[in-house]
Amino acid sequence: MANQTPAVVMDNGTGFSKLGFAGNDSPSFVFPTAIATKGGAAGGGSGSGRPAVANKPSFLTGGAGPTGHLSGKRGTEDLDFFIGDEAISAASGPGYGLHYPIRHGQIENWDHMERFWSNSIFKYLRVEPEDHYFLLTEPPLNPPENRENTAEIFFESFNCAGLYIAVQAVLALAASWTSSKVTDRSLTGTVIDSGDGVTHVIPVAEGYVIGSSIKSIPIAGRDITYFVQSLLRDRGEPDSSLKTAQEIKEAHCYVCPDIVNEFGKYDRDRSRFMKHVVAQPGGREVTVDVGYERFLAPEIFFNPEIYSSDFLTPLPVVVDGVIQSSPIDVRRGLYKNIVLSGGSTLYKDFGRRLQRDIKQLVDARIRQSEVRSGGAKSGGLEVQVITHKRQRHGPWFGGSLLGQTPEFRSYCHTKAEYQEYGPGIVRRFALLGGPGGS
Amino acid sequence: MLLLDYQNVLIQSVLTERFSGAPPVSIDQTVSDFDGVTFHISTPETKSKIMVSIQIRCFPDLLRYGAEEVLNREYGPYVVSPEPGFDFSIVVDLENLPAEKEARDDLVNKIALLKRNAMAAPFEQAYKEHYHLKQEAAKFTSEEAPQGVREGGEVKAIHYREEEAIYVKASHDRVTVIFSTIFREETDRVFGKVFIQEFVDARRRAIQNAPQVLFRNDPPLELQGVPGVKNTGTGEIGYVTFVLFPRHLTPQRMPDVISHIQTFRDYFHYHIKASKAYIHSRMRRRTADFLQVLRRARPDSEEKERKTASGRTFKVGS
Repeated sequence: MANQTPAVVMDNGTGFSKLGFAGNDSPSFVFPTAIATKGGAAGGGSGSGRPAVANKPSFLTGGAGPTGHLSGKRGTEDLDFFIGDEAISAASGPGYGLHYPIRHGQIENWDHMERFWSNSIFKYLRVEPEDHYFLLTEPPLNPPENRENTAEIFFESFNCAGLYIAVQAVLALAASWTSSKVTDRSLTGTVIDSGDGVTHVIPVAEGYVIGSSIKSIPIAGRDITYFVQSLLRDRGEPDSSLKTAQEIKEAHCYVCPDIVNEFGKYDRDRSRFMKHVVAQPGGREVTVDVGYERFLAPEIFFNPEIYSSDFLTPLPVVVDGVIQSSPIDVRRGLYKNIVLSGGSTLYKDFGRRLQRDIKQLVDARIRQSEVRSGGAKSGGLEVQVITHKRQRHGPWFGGSLLGQTPEFRSYCHTKAEYQEYGPGIVRRFALLGGPGGS
Repeated sequence: MLLLDYQNVLIQSVLTERFSGAPPVSIDQTVSDFDGVTFHISTPETKSKIMVSIQIRCFPDLLRYGAEEVLNREYGPYVVSPEPGFDFSIVVDLENLPAEKEARDDLVNKIALLKRNAMAAPFEQAYKEHYHLKQEAAKFTSEEAPQGVREGGEVKAIHYREEEAIYVKASHDRVTVIFSTIFREETDRVFGKVFIQEFVDARRRAIQNAPQVLFRNDPPLELQGVPGVKNTGTGEIGYVTFVLFPRHLTPQRMPDVISHIQTFRDYFHYHIKASKAYIHSRMRRRTADFLQVLRRARPDSEEKERKTASGRTFKVGS
C-alpha cells in the first residue's frame, strides 16, 4: 500500500497492554493483558503457573455431535473469548476463566497471546494488518526464540506488512527526548522502569542493552499499595481496601528529601494531613485520614527496610551498582542520563531525590579515590535524572515517536524478507533512532 | 467474538468520556479504521469543541452516489467544511450537548458510525432505485417490460481499496452486491475459498432465508462493460456476489443489511486469521504432546546393580 497508514504501536506488558497509532501522544487503548476463555482451565486460580490447555472443540473429539450433520460439529469455541477490561468483567461471571498470557514481561502462552492480538487488532484498533506496519516491544533479555515466535504469528497469521520489535528500555530512552533537559538525543542511559510488579534498572549503551548489568528490585507499585494499606489498617481507618490504598497512593503520595524533617513538619503543620473521601457501594461515603503515608510510601524505594525484611538495598545504591558494573567507557553517559519510566516513578520529586542520593554516593567515592591517589583532583561526574511528561507510558510513547519517522519503514522487516530468510531474520534489527537516524 | 462491530471503538470511547462531563482537555489523535480509512479527532479551536474528520479513499465515488445527502441527514447540525487533507468533518460543541443521557449516547454512536454512514450512501441509493423499479415493473408483465426496467439500474462501483471494489446494482426484484477480492497469499486464498464455499452452501443447509452467495473467478455478467473490471484470466481476483431478495430489502431491515454487507471483507479476513490462529494453537498442542511422548520414551534407568546371594554386586546392561 503506497499511501502512508500510521504504524501500529503495541506495548504488551505484564499488567497492561498499550495500543495505539504512531504519531499520537498517548496510547489509544490501555487495558489489562488478560484474556477470558470459555470453560476456563484456571477457573479463578489464575495465579497458578500451570499453562492453560487449549480446549478441544467438540468436532475434534471424534463425532461427539449427536447428529451426523456437519454443521452441528463445527464449533466456534475458539472465538468465544474476551480481552482486556471485558475479560475481567466476563471472568467475574460463570463460565469464563481469566488468563494472563504474559508473565514477568515475557509471553508464556502463545495460544492466548495470538488470540489476544487478533482481537486487539480487529476489534479495538480496527486495522487490516496487511496495510500497516507494526512496532512491538519486548522486555530486556527476551530470548530470541520468543522474537521468532512473535514474528511467526505476525507474518504467518496476520500477514502484517512489516514488523519491528524494539526493547522497551530503548524506547523509554527515546521517550525522554521530549524532556527539555535532553539535548543530544543519545541512546545511552540508565532506564529505571518501575511498573506494578517489579522494578528494573537497565543500562543501555548506544541503543544496546548491557544484559549482564541489569538488576531488578522486587519493590514496585503493588508493594507501595500494600504498604499504604498496612498503614491504614494499623490506624484502624474505616476503609482500608486495596482500591482505597491505591487511590490514596496515586492522589497524595510524594517523595520527601528527609524523613525526620518531614515528620517534624507534619507535627508543626496540621494542614498537611489530608482527608480522602471514599464512596462505598450502597451510596455511603466514608472519610479516611491520610497522614505520614503520603511521604512514607514512596520512601520504601530509598529505605526498603521500613517495608521488607529480605530486600534491603536502596534504589540509589542499586543504580550506582548497575552503572559501576557496566563497561568503564560508558559509565559517564549512564550517570548523565538516568531516565524514569513506568507508573511507579511518577511521585513528585522522585527524580530529584534519586539524583541527590546517587550524586552523594558518587561524590563520596570520588573523594575517597582522591585521597588514595594522594593529591590528584577529579574533574567530577555529572549525575542527572530525567523526568518527563510521558513517563507513565514511556515505552509506548517512544515507540510512537520512532514509528512516525519517515525512515521507520526501512528499518522494519517485511513479509517478503521474512519469507526469504525465515523467522531467524527477526533476531537482528537495525537500530531505530540510532546514530544516523533522526 | 464472531461478528465485528460497525462503530469505531476508539471514537466511541473518547467521545463517551468527553461527553460524560469530564473536564475538557485538548485531544489530537489520528485513528485508523478498516480499508485505509483515517480519522482525526482534534480540538483545533477550544478544548470544548471536538472535531472529527474522516478520510476515505473512495470518497469521490461515494459523493457521486449521494454520500453528501446521507451525511447531511445524519449529522446535519454538526457538519462543517472539511479539514484540509480530509474529506468530511463534523464539530461537536461540548457546551451544547443534548441534555438527556440517551440522546448523548445516541450522538456518540452516530459519530462512531461515521465510516459506516459514509459508505452506506450507494447502498441506500440502490435501495431507492430498487423500490422505484419495483413500482415500474409492477405495471408490466415480465416479457413486455421496457429495457430499462428489466435491466435494472446502472452498476455503482465503489473502489474502497486500491485493488478491490464493491459493485452495487439494483433491479426490480433484487439488489446485487459484488465484491472483488484479491489475495496476496496462497494460504489465504485457500482459506478464503473454504470460507466462501461455506457462504455459498449456507442456503442449502439450515438458513434458507439467507441471501444467495455466488463465487467465481471471472467477472460476473453484471459487471460486463463496467470500466475498471478486467478479466485477467489468472483467477487471482475472486468475485463474491450477494443477491439481496425483496425479503432483505424492506426499509426496516435496510440499516442492518447495509452494516452487515459493509463489514463483509473485514469479517472475512478476520475469520481467515482467526482460523489460522486456531490451527496454530492445535499445532502447538500437538507439539507439546509429541514432546511428552519423547520424554516418556526414555528408559527408566540404564544401569542396574544387582546382588548375588553372597552379597557381591554386578552390573546388568551396558
